[in-house]
Amino acid sequence: MASPSTSDLLAARVRLPQHVVHRNFVAETVVLNLQTGQYHGLNPTAGRMLEALQQAPTVGATVSALAEEYGVEQEQIQRDLLALTRGLLERELIETVDEDAG
Amino acid sequence: MKTPVEERLSPDPGSGEHHHTAFGLALRIDPRISIPELGSRPDSVSAELPSHVRVDPDELRRRWDALATRPERVREIHYGETLLRSVDVAEPAGYLLWARDFGRVLISPDGIELLCEPDPANEDWASIISAQALPLAATLRGLEVLHASGVVLDGRAVLVTGPPGAGKSSLAAALVRAGGQLLSDDAVALALSDATLTAHSGSVALQLRAAEHERLSAEERAALGRLAGSIDGKHRYVSTGVPDAAPLGGLFLLERSAAEPAVERLGAVDPFELIASTFNLSVRTPERLRRQLDVVSAIASGGLAHRLRVQPGVDAGRLAAIVREHMEWGAVLGGPAPSGVLSRHERLLEL
Repeated sequence: MASPSTSDLLAARVRLPQHVVHRNFVAETVVLNLQTGQYHGLNPTAGRMLEALQQAPTVGATVSALAEEYGVEQEQIQRDLLALTRGLLERELIETVDEDAG
Repeated sequence: MKTPVEERLSPDPGSGEHHHTAFGLALRIDPRISIPELGSRPDSVSAELPSHVRVDPDELRRRWDALATRPERVREIHYGETLLRSVDVAEPAGYLLWARDFGRVLISPDGIELLCEPDPANEDWASIISAQALPLAATLRGLEVLHASGVVLDGRAVLVTGPPGAGKSSLAAALVRAGGQLLSDDAVALALSDATLTAHSGSVALQLRAAEHERLSAEERAALGRLAGSIDGKHRYVSTGVPDAAPLGGLFLLERSAAEPAVERLGAVDPFELIASTFNLSVRTPERLRRQLDVVSAIASGGLAHRLRVQPGVDAGRLAAIVREHMEWGAVLGGPAPSGVLSRHERLLEL
């Protein structure tokens, strides 16, 4: 599957599939794929981004809030967020939601 | 009306099965099987359906040989080139545990039937049941088993985990001599309910190395229970008056260190270290994986994990005193003692 363009990804809504669960720990977020049995570790910043992605209507909608939260430029947050989102999609730890399909 | 599972078990009231409790399971054990490691705890677990353990090589072979699909090898333990133990899984038969010189045990996918095919040359073959088969059955029945020794101190379970040879059993024995009650020597089953963890007893046979055994007085040996022979140069004591379960009070992760012994509450415990200390990694069902993560999360969020740094050869009695004091601080103040306080305590001990 081709990787979505930056603009498509920023406009997309993402969520955790049913076969993925995650738990937050102090220094790490553990994401578990129940189908493959593989665990994945996210550092606290990536864990916070995952939380924000699940609550936001689109990936792009999280950028300004996260930039303010971390006190960094929006460009940097967007770059990091897109890299994380692509990484999670490739590992099937998140999925995009087709809004037309309801 | 009986369920299909109950029909399958067809209990015979006159069979003379032993009733036991271990790993959070109510057990019905074939009278031909003796498992002294389970102690003498009668059935006290409220369970709609106990797990049955019986010697039945014919039925084991019938179910395993009738498989339409090729079993999947999910676990192998080697010593050098020699295969010591394996686990194969295949539906609908379940998990086939094989151990060199012990035999085979087929555990149904729901964990309620354990069919044994003993190695006739080994009169101690049944120890594989308490060491491996029952922890696996407990995992299949919804508990999470940790590779840990466990002792009950003042009504709370204290678990000790760490790499092989780190001194788990020695510390557990020292905690028993200091007034604790042995919960399990090698594996402890945890039940998670409403964010509360309960530790259930398992094998209550403590094995002590000869040198450590020689150091103990007659009174200290008596505190460990009944001497039940020796295996591989280790003296085996079976505890008596063992509790069935206790709320989890603390999990101590042993770590070898060149520094003085010290304990530290882990505010940011590595979840993967906790996952690695769980038993039965061969069970990879989604339900189990989710539960495993939930139990690890409950240990971390409850502030129950501690690092216990130990020097090689340090006296286990000294470590037990550190653990005991740490737990007492937790009971009095609602939280474990700050590590700095214990460090000062350690320096005082040395004076």
